[in-house]
Amino acid sequence: MSALLEVRGLTTHFDTRGGVLKAVEDVSFEVGEGEIVGLVGESGSGKSVTGFSILGLVDAPGRIVSGSVRFAGRELVGLGHGALRSMRGREMAMVFQDPSATLNPVLTVGQQMRLAIAAHERVGEAAATARCVEALTIVGIPDAARRLENYPHQFSGGMRQRVAIAIALLNRPKLIICDEPTTALDVSIQAQILTEMKSLAARLGTAMIWISHDLATVSSVASRLLVMYAGRIIEAGPVASVLRSPRHPYTRGLLNSLPSMARPGQDLVQIPGSMPSLANLPEGCSFRPRCPKAQEDCKVMPALTGDGARAFRCRHPLDREVAA
Amino acid sequence: MLGFVIQRLMQAFVVMLVISALVFVGVYAVGNPIDVLISPDATQLIREQTIRAYGLDQPLWKQYLDFLGRLSRGDFGRSFVFNMPVLDLIFSRLPATIELTLAAVFGATLLGVPLGIYAGYRPESPISKAIMALSILGFSVPTFWIGLVLIFTFAVTLGWLPAGNRGDTVTIFGVQWSFLTWNGLTHLFLPALNLSLFKFAMMVRLARAGTRETMLTDTVKFARAAGESEWTILSRHVLRLIAIPIVTVFGLELGSTLAFAVVTETIFSWPGVGKLIIDSISTLDRPVMVAYLMLVAFLFIVINFTVDIAYAALDPRLRTRRAA
Repeated sequence: MSALLEVRGLTTHFDTRGGVLKAVEDVSFEVGEGEIVGLVGESGSGKSVTGFSILGLVDAPGRIVSGSVRFAGRELVGLGHGALRSMRGREMAMVFQDPSATLNPVLTVGQQMRLAIAAHERVGEAAATARCVEALTIVGIPDAARRLENYPHQFSGGMRQRVAIAIALLNRPKLIICDEPTTALDVSIQAQILTEMKSLAARLGTAMIWISHDLATVSSVASRLLVMYAGRIIEAGPVASVLRSPRHPYTRGLLNSLPSMARPGQDLVQIPGSMPSLANLPEGCSFRPRCPKAQEDCKVMPALTGDGARAFRCRHPLDREVAA
Repeated sequence: MLGFVIQRLMQAFVVMLVISALVFVGVYAVGNPIDVLISPDATQLIREQTIRAYGLDQPLWKQYLDFLGRLSRGDFGRSFVFNMPVLDLIFSRLPATIELTLAAVFGATLLGVPLGIYAGYRPESPISKAIMALSILGFSVPTFWIGLVLIFTFAVTLGWLPAGNRGDTVTIFGVQWSFLTWNGLTHLFLPALNLSLFKFAMMVRLARAGTRETMLTDTVKFARAAGESEWTILSRHVLRLIAIPIVTVFGLELGSTLAFAVVTETIFSWPGVGKLIIDSISTLDRPVMVAYLMLVAFLFIVINFTVDIAYAALDPRLRTRRAA
């Protein structure tokens, strides 16, 4: 599996009046063709900013300070606006959390889809319509030709997100960054969309970065997991392996805080404290103030180390559990 | 939709009736036109004849009912001063005001909205700051003063443009228009500029605020992620999204300028209705005042109705709600 996307040492900062927010710090990972990688972390851990950085869509006052993003062998950091724009949508696309906020309420679905096509190619009216209908049909919207004339508010929440996904698929990108695309939906619809996106990715050979704060959701779609905390990747590895035996105390804490069917009626276990401010990170390991295993040597930032597929950023990792 | 129109027509009728009563009472409560109309050395006989001729010997409620009776036959009465039907008098002056108002409001909108969008899109650029400074000037400097400065600069000192009056006109459908002759156009330019400055400032601020807000929304991010160009985003997404407040203010400004372009019309001796109403107030020409104020109310009703229709055209969400 050759790497479609290679992110190396990506660092994105926001220069604000209150100081420099280190939203993304030294993030490295790769995504293979057709692979689905899950990016988990709580709000403000830098997962969305990582997604935007890859697309070159970090809004001022944010900027990519250093690092490299290689997509299909091409370096994207430092690429001109025009070149980046023509890659967006065609080579890689993004789907956002709330479809009622992303779709333009005053344009019909067809108008918006045609704009997305016209951004990359000159296509005749009939051919454009055919492509819109095809994309809507792929994501499971019945009677697609008629629905092109509808406005976003005439769709249900789940259908609206399908429309957004269809727009992302229009130009057949090789990579789709999904920024919590199911968070705003009903639980029953969530499961549907998850399954469909997974099979869609397999069928079309589209790679995905699935960003979410919800471990359960991510682990049901992704094959590999990246856990972010305070702007850094603190643990990475195949989903099953990370879930079975997390090595970083933070990942362990996240897993412990999940409601489980095995322990009904019990209080959920919380990680004490809250994430530090990105403008004022603690010295050394960012998780140190909340970590039950923190020691004196944690005051120096540990490197991301590991063996083979597994990696973690911790000097005092949890023991590898014996596969039960 | 039809139900909506009928409902609004009935509302309009009630509003006009209430306005007629308020205006009638209000206007008849001020001053005594007899003192103005009849020379002080007229005989008692002539005084009484005149009072009876104008129906001024009747009690107020009787005068109002007579007025309503004539109104139902489309007769607004005769001007005390010009001794001609009030409607003919107003309609002989109205085209000049309509012409001036349309030039000012359309000019302000067509120039102010694009500049405002630019200022909202690039808030930090020096050009945007210059645009905003100009808009503050337009807001805070009084109209009459700018009018005088314009006359002094362009008419008196430089001698480029005429200082007042309408200039040559062309008659179309029995109505005189200035904007179709070069000479008329030069006469129209300064008063229209004077009248448009405040509206220009308002349009700039509205468009800027709307654009700044819209540029931060997910709709814009999603369009960017699809690879749409900044021009497409501004012209197809942002412009449509900020249209509603702009149309609202456009309508209000159109109405109030048609009704109250008095200051500019006086300074530039523009023979419009604004000057007519000022003259009729100083001569206590009651029928003109009443008819004029009713016309203003009617204009506002028509404009508000048109604006409501425009809302439905601009925002599909309102369309369905109304149909439901």
